Amino acid sequence: MSQLRSIPRALKLPLKQLQVPLQHRPFTQTHSTHGKKPLPPRLKLNDEDLSVAYLKGTGPGGQKINKTNSAVQISHKPTGIVIKCQATRSQSQNHKIARSLLADRVEAHLKGDQSPSRVSIKAEAARKKKASKVKKARRKYRGLEGESAELEAEEGGEDDGEVVLDADAGERASEDGVGGRGIEEDEVQKVESRKNLKDKDESL
Amino acid sequence: MPRIRPSTLIKASRDNPLLPLLLKECRTLESARNELRWLREHALRTSQTRTRQQPNPTTPLAEWKMHLLSMCRQRSRGYPLQYILGDQPFGDLEILCRPGVLIPRPDTESYVIQAAKLVEQMAMAEATPSERSSTDKDDPKPLRILDLCTGTGCITLLLHALLSPRFEHLRVMGIDISSKALSLARKNLDHNLQQGLLTHRASTDVQFHRADVLGLPTGGGGDDDADGIPNVEKILSEYFDQPGEMEMSEDLLAIDLEPGCDLLISNPPYISTSDFRNGTTARSVRLFEPKLALVPPPPRSQQFPTPTPTPTPTSAMGAVRPEDIFYRRILELSYKLRTKVTVLECGDIKQAERVIEMHNFMAPGQDRFQDHFDVQVWPNTEQDMAFYGFHHNDGSRSSDSSR
Repeated sequence: MSQLRSIPRALKLPLKQLQVPLQHRPFTQTHSTHGKKPLPPRLKLNDEDLSVAYLKGTGPGGQKINKTNSAVQISHKPTGIVIKCQATRSQSQNHKIARSLLADRVEAHLKGDQSPSRVSIKAEAARKKKASKVKKARRKYRGLEGESAELEAEEGGEDDGEVVLDADAGERASEDGVGGRGIEEDEVQKVESRKNLKDKDESL
Repeated sequence: MPRIRPSTLIKASRDNPLLPLLLKECRTLESARNELRWLREHALRTSQTRTRQQPNPTTPLAEWKMHLLSMCRQRSRGYPLQYILGDQPFGDLEILCRPGVLIPRPDTESYVIQAAKLVEQMAMAEATPSERSSTDKDDPKPLRILDLCTGTGCITLLLHALLSPRFEHLRVMGIDISSKALSLARKNLDHNLQQGLLTHRASTDVQFHRADVLGLPTGGGGDDDADGIPNVEKILSEYFDQPGEMEMSEDLLAIDLEPGCDLLISNPPYISTSDFRNGTTARSVRLFEPKLALVPPPPRSQQFPTPTPTPTPTSAMGAVRPEDIFYRRILELSYKLRTKVTVLECGDIKQAERVIEMHNFMAPGQDRFQDHFDVQVWPNTEQDMAFYGFHHNDGSRSSDSSR
């Protein structure tokens, strides 16, 4: 039993040692320059080139119905690009979003990939961010694997893998500041659904 | 109502088990998906704020999911989304919605924005010749706006938001008969001030008053209605500082006087009793929104056969349809106030034509000054747009149709 209790302690020790230099380190290692560098101005669209449709029905309207559909569809006549937005419940908000998306799309269409446009800069930034995320994750899990392998070697293979796993879970829970495992699960669910929401919004 | 195809239902339930519930009211998969997204966002937001206020580990874990389910069930019975979520965006404002007060419609939003543009254009056209007098700039007359049957106060507040950057002096008044609507309108004013969606000026520029728009001036027996609701003309005469001039002068001098009000805008009840029941009015509206805001009350003369003298022009015009009674009264008020622009929401093109006819009959001096008034219809459906050719020319009076 005393051996079992000592395992989490053994795990915690190296982490605590690590935390001291962590505080003095900047939070991010990615380049913070692309946040500071102003993006080139968004393409201005002529009002005459646009046709806006608020998706009106042909039936009765006004007080007789209460439609919640606030979709706005803007088409750019010279290029034939059409953007429809129903991200929010607000008609005016949807109009703004659709307009800015349309401006980006038209710019990409006109300039192509060769010149640095807003769209290409943003895409490049997103790509870099994702790449660094993947890299970090890989580094983290490689480190963890190495640690547990070391541990097993230290203990001389006396205990089975299950205990190590449990200790690991307890460690994670205390790191998150959440007491029980059940709540943690729910938290994960919440975060996931929130992420889905965000993704959906972005895909619009 | 066309039935939902079983294949759509199957597809919806595969996508999310809550979608079929929402389909009952939304009818299309696309709008059901949207509503589910908004409802889920709302459920998550409320559960987050609740746990932040009182962290309670004993509450069920998927509390927000239960909340979402109950909201979807409510929605499937036709309960309006805006009452569930508690608000509705209107222009850039956030209008709170409570049962008992009509929910703002997107059609209203679009013509309010158009009306604000019209007022700005007219002010610009006027400003150029009047620049010669510097006295005008020292003490400029405020832009006066009157919103009859204001409900949530959405038109009043949006007009203030749109026009306050352009006009330094602005007075907007909203009038409604329902005390529920008025308290909500005041709450909306405070709410949008707090959110920073209205400038602090709004707290002094905007006023809400309770009054009966249909109430005819009682001949000296007291200014209040039988129910203790003040008569609209009393409020207006106080507000527009012209106690003596409220009387309708048959004299054509009135036309040359200064306008007493710059914009009169109204979205009055306009649904006929037969349309309310024959299926053209949506179930959700019929069951859950206040009838007071939708269907005009039966003519008062039948209820109280008092010998109130009806104004001469209307009696000669013949019978006014019960669903149009608000328009007759509002047109009358707009002549009395010598309003520059009057914007009215109508149920359909036929009703708009009846309002124009009414105006042609009632307008003072119409026989001698043919060009003094200008009537426009702002159609809302593509069909009607094609019919009217949709051309604009500025004028002193406009009538709006929205369907």
